[in-house]
Amino acid sequence: MNLLHEAHRMRLGHVTRRHFLRSTGASLGAIALASMGSVPQAAPDPLTPKRPHFAPRARRVIFLHMAGGPSSLELFDYKPDLARLHGERCPDSLLEGKRFAFIRGVPKMLGPQATFQRYGESGAWVSNHLPHFAQVVDEVAFLKAMHTDEFNHAPAQLLVHSGSPRLGRPSMGAWVTYGLGTENDNLPAFVVLLSGGAAPDAGASVYGSGFLPTVYQGVQCRSVGDPVLFLNDPQGLPRSLRKASVEAINRINAQRHADVGDPEILTRIAQYEMAFRMQTSVPEAMDIAKEPEYIHQMYGTQPSENAFSNNCLLARRLLERGVRFVQLFHWGWDSHGAGASEALNDGFLKRCKETDRPVAALILDLKQRGLLDDTLIIWGGEFGRTPMLENRTGVDNPFVGRDHHSDAYTMWMAGGGIKRGITHGATDPIGYSGIRGRVHIHDLQATILHLLGLDHLRLTYPFQGRDFRLTDVHGKVVHQVLA
Amino acid sequence: MRYHILAAFYIGLIAGCARGPDVEFNTDIRPILNERCVGCHGGIQRQGDLNLLFRSEATAMAESGKPAIVPGQPGQSELIRRVAHSDPEYRMPQDDAPLASEEVRALRQWIREGAAWEQHWAYVAPERPSVPAVSWPGWPQRDLDFFILARLDAEGLEPSPPAPCPTLVRRVTLDLTGLPPEPEATHAVCNGPLRYEQYVDQLLDSPRYGERWAAMWLDLARYADSKGYEKDIGRTIWRYRDWVVQAFNKDKPFDQFTVEQLAGDLLPNPSEDQLIATAFNRNTMTNTEGGTDDEEFRTAAVVDRVNTTWEVWQGTSFSCVQCHGHPYDPFRHHEYYEFFAFFNNTADRDFDDEYPTLPQFDEADVAEGAALLEELEALERAILRLAEEDAIAKARQLWETQLNRPEVIGQVRNMLQNEVRRVSLVPEAQRDAAQRTLIASVYARISPDSQLIALRERQGDIRRTMGELNPLQTPIMQELPAHQRRRTYVFERGSFLARGEEVTAGTPRALPPLPEDAPRNRLGMAQWLVSDANPLTARVTVNRFWEQLFGTGIVESLEDFGTQGYAPSHLELLDHLAVSLREDCAWSIKCLLRSIVTSSTYQQSSSVTPELKAADPYNRLLARGPRFRLSAEQIRDQALHVSGLLSPAMYGPPVMPPQPDGLWNNPYDGRRWTTSEGDDRYRRALYTYWRRTIPYPSMVTFDSPTREYCVSRRLRTNTPLQALVGLNDPVFVEAAQALARRMASRGEDAPSRLAAGYVLALAHMPNNKARQTLMSLYEEAEAHYREHPADAAALTGAAESAELAALTLAAQAILNLDSFLMKE
Repeated sequence: MNLLHEAHRMRLGHVTRRHFLRSTGASLGAIALASMGSVPQAAPDPLTPKRPHFAPRARRVIFLHMAGGPSSLELFDYKPDLARLHGERCPDSLLEGKRFAFIRGVPKMLGPQATFQRYGESGAWVSNHLPHFAQVVDEVAFLKAMHTDEFNHAPAQLLVHSGSPRLGRPSMGAWVTYGLGTENDNLPAFVVLLSGGAAPDAGASVYGSGFLPTVYQGVQCRSVGDPVLFLNDPQGLPRSLRKASVEAINRINAQRHADVGDPEILTRIAQYEMAFRMQTSVPEAMDIAKEPEYIHQMYGTQPSENAFSNNCLLARRLLERGVRFVQLFHWGWDSHGAGASEALNDGFLKRCKETDRPVAALILDLKQRGLLDDTLIIWGGEFGRTPMLENRTGVDNPFVGRDHHSDAYTMWMAGGGIKRGITHGATDPIGYSGIRGRVHIHDLQATILHLLGLDHLRLTYPFQGRDFRLTDVHGKVVHQVLA
Repeated sequence: MRYHILAAFYIGLIAGCARGPDVEFNTDIRPILNERCVGCHGGIQRQGDLNLLFRSEATAMAESGKPAIVPGQPGQSELIRRVAHSDPEYRMPQDDAPLASEEVRALRQWIREGAAWEQHWAYVAPERPSVPAVSWPGWPQRDLDFFILARLDAEGLEPSPPAPCPTLVRRVTLDLTGLPPEPEATHAVCNGPLRYEQYVDQLLDSPRYGERWAAMWLDLARYADSKGYEKDIGRTIWRYRDWVVQAFNKDKPFDQFTVEQLAGDLLPNPSEDQLIATAFNRNTMTNTEGGTDDEEFRTAAVVDRVNTTWEVWQGTSFSCVQCHGHPYDPFRHHEYYEFFAFFNNTADRDFDDEYPTLPQFDEADVAEGAALLEELEALERAILRLAEEDAIAKARQLWETQLNRPEVIGQVRNMLQNEVRRVSLVPEAQRDAAQRTLIASVYARISPDSQLIALRERQGDIRRTMGELNPLQTPIMQELPAHQRRRTYVFERGSFLARGEEVTAGTPRALPPLPEDAPRNRLGMAQWLVSDANPLTARVTVNRFWEQLFGTGIVESLEDFGTQGYAPSHLELLDHLAVSLREDCAWSIKCLLRSIVTSSTYQQSSSVTPELKAADPYNRLLARGPRFRLSAEQIRDQALHVSGLLSPAMYGPPVMPPQPDGLWNNPYDGRRWTTSEGDDRYRRALYTYWRRTIPYPSMVTFDSPTREYCVSRRLRTNTPLQALVGLNDPVFVEAAQALARRMASRGEDAPSRLAAGYVLALAHMPNNKARQTLMSLYEEAEAHYREHPADAAALTGAAESAELAALTLAAQAILNLDSFLMKE
């Protein structure tokens, strides 16, 4: 075996052998082991906090994914010219060589379904649908000319989170956890919260670990029901007996280790301890009832509902407890206008109302706790929407909608390492294409990693004979938005 | 000038005197080239027009006007001049540390000796190695043991003692059937009349054997009960899963097993089973999203078939070559598409209805169904005959002249439009048979001729009637008729939109050619894979089964036998097993497995001493037996089996055992997880509904892949979420309840019941400490449940019995022991 192979194997071995033993003092396993008189050999732990490539500007991330693709033209990208063109037939030049998910033939232009005003010292344009968010625009850097390669939900979501439209690559949270480890022994490093009535279109792959070891995958916590799958003890089993049974399991396992010497047994002991701790720490972290009333008002939480507002508050609680990466998905932004729930003049407005207050609250709450300086917030969908009307059902459709659009849409970032109150990039007068400061999804990913102190070119993992990275062979850090 | 000549003379002389040991390409030279050179001068980048992967190119004129390598003439070789250059501006590798002086010396010597390129070991056909001499001739029981022991001798290590009998019985039973042994079987082997070898034969004959090995094969076949991509809607392809189980149980020789899956439809008069086998390659994903290009995803499926074939049978990461030449291995970009051409002419095209499919009618409808199918074929023939008659042919000729009008060409299916246009430009008299059939059959679908309309309507009626019979439709492979064959082009940078030169079906030059008599189609390709000349298939196959038994392959990278994969830990052993599988076993997998599990190597104890751990932490030398975690399937099946819940039912549609509510929450379909009733709650994991985007939670938690693509190796992780499954997943709680009832019936008092549970689960008695630990847990629990009968009822799921509740908790502890989750 030559040196290269040896190094490769060591690296793989290092990350695939799970050793969670920590110096937790009087933990269950430590007691069990002490009683056996053996001293476990500390082995490398794949979740040990790791040094980044350079000094980070952000230590944790919260990614607010508005699944379905919200229309920037009704939120941030103010286009008075589009209003003037409302009802005109779309010129052929805009349609040539384009593929749409649903638009067929020649569509009509659709003017902005909102009124706009400038806010804050930065004078950012925000629509009447986001009155709370409008008050915090000076904290935010807008990316007005985002673009992506995909025009269907699942591949576009996968591209946002894994850098590839195909299934099988690790998600950003998994990469970050792989690169930086965790700072909390009692909670998962990468937590996912879903709301809006449906899971992301691409399923768990958008927070999966791909070819990275599964220890890095996002753990879905649920605000209703078991916060983590199988977290609750079976009925009729009190905590004291659960503790006794985990101790019994670990004691027999420790003895087995003394007999057969397999270090994997020590890992298992540590994992049963961690599971036992999670049974308490996760519900504690997930219990928002303990928050004071003014916080509930601020976020507009809805007790015992699977609401986006609750998830925003949960996200803050998790970040405070050392969770590295919190991923929120809020489904329901797919405003085709084919029915009420997905119409710009109906469902879309509800989504705005559901998210406006909690998003603003999250920014203000993190700020008042001094956490905004090193917490990165990202808001956006997997693509934008066409300036053209989509009208699938005929002329008398009371619902207004737009089709998927990959060439131009808005995202924003705020917090750790991000310039406050700026706008980067711009689109043409109808919001169809970026004309300045275009940012591709891979550039956004490079920027997020950069803020965390990770060089996207150096954060790699060997798989199928080559080194893979989040940004594939692309990605440029968007220095213009860095503070 | 004179000085130079002299200097060259002296250098030559000195080098000649200082000549070291032999330089070998594979061990001394290739690692230097791979690590330091081919990144820029290889299959992806050919800077300076230099490619060091092939001798013909390395010795050809490069952009500099000089050849990098002049065989026999290191002094004339630009490569030597540049790696030894004193000026960093000119020295290679550019902007990087210079080669070590020994490396330069080795390169010089190698070029002087003729710069011979050796084939990478994996591309040279294995030959049966002679069995090596060993220090302890009494130890080996099988030939393979000699290879293991000889290596241990060389490393100064000794094999471990045999594993305790119950441990070995549990190990081999789990390995061959995926289930733990019955206590009675353990007793019969360890204390009674049954010899170990006899027991192994019983296991190989068990129907459980096929289920266990199918679970492995289905990862390779990327089998799932859903179509993948965004909507990931359901797919009916479980007859293929059943075919795999049966093929393993019948011990279908691996060469036939291969040919039937890759090309069963091209065998003479294929049986229904052979057609079902081809569903192997219909497990590719189908995209049913709006607005997607069917040709794009048809191409994606063909790409997947190529990559899967190379990974499964050739242990080669061929997917690199989709976009460019292989970075390290001798495969060229266009060779990918030559191989692609083998798969490019099947009738499937990413349609939502999964066409073509094999219908299976309900028993009552079989006769009617067959008659309908026959009439359909007769109608098809009649339509074609009619379409070639004069009157219709005349109308067609007129139609052909109007093909440039969008509404006319628009009548033709997208995928045929180009070909139809092309043929229409060929004068009628010059068209070949395939072209005539193509255009006649296309026109027959749209002709306004009343007779044709009647025949088409009749076809429609029959299809409707067939639809009403609602046969089970299993997607299969079907070759396109000659007149519809697709052309294959190189895709530049792998994109299906960027067509390069046209290619025809073929295999890469670095490997032996297709057998002379083999047809140049999928069937010939499959025969090529299992031909004696193919250096990879047998090695890759024995390595795969070895990995399942020992936890690590002889070549650790099951998926990559190329120069960047891992070197084999025991090359001669690998070759011995490969040749033996083909020649001694005639490709019988049962024969291969029997020889391994009856070896001394396999039967060693898996305990690790500190010395062994230091000398061989990953157990690559096998001075001890395997010890590693069971697979996701085995963990579920084992818990259900020891608790007596496991249903023995085999085959059929997938089942839905209990899973938490709310997981199936896809915005696009209202399908719900409907928990199966009765025994179907307790089927083997193999039969659980496999939805790619929302996999069964306890399966993924224990590292099953999601099966979008072929996966050779599952990682084995060890996470807190696994602990939560074992402790709290209702499936495992139910298993603990049932095991407790079994324990209660197998003993008179608590200690004997606890021991009975231990034996059921682990095949051996608990030692004193384990006994005491379980007993104190039991007593603590019993005290609690005496005080709280309602808790007892809740935990046992039935009786307010403190004893049963305490036993349930103890049973749960046993089901979560490391020894239970591991193969020891």
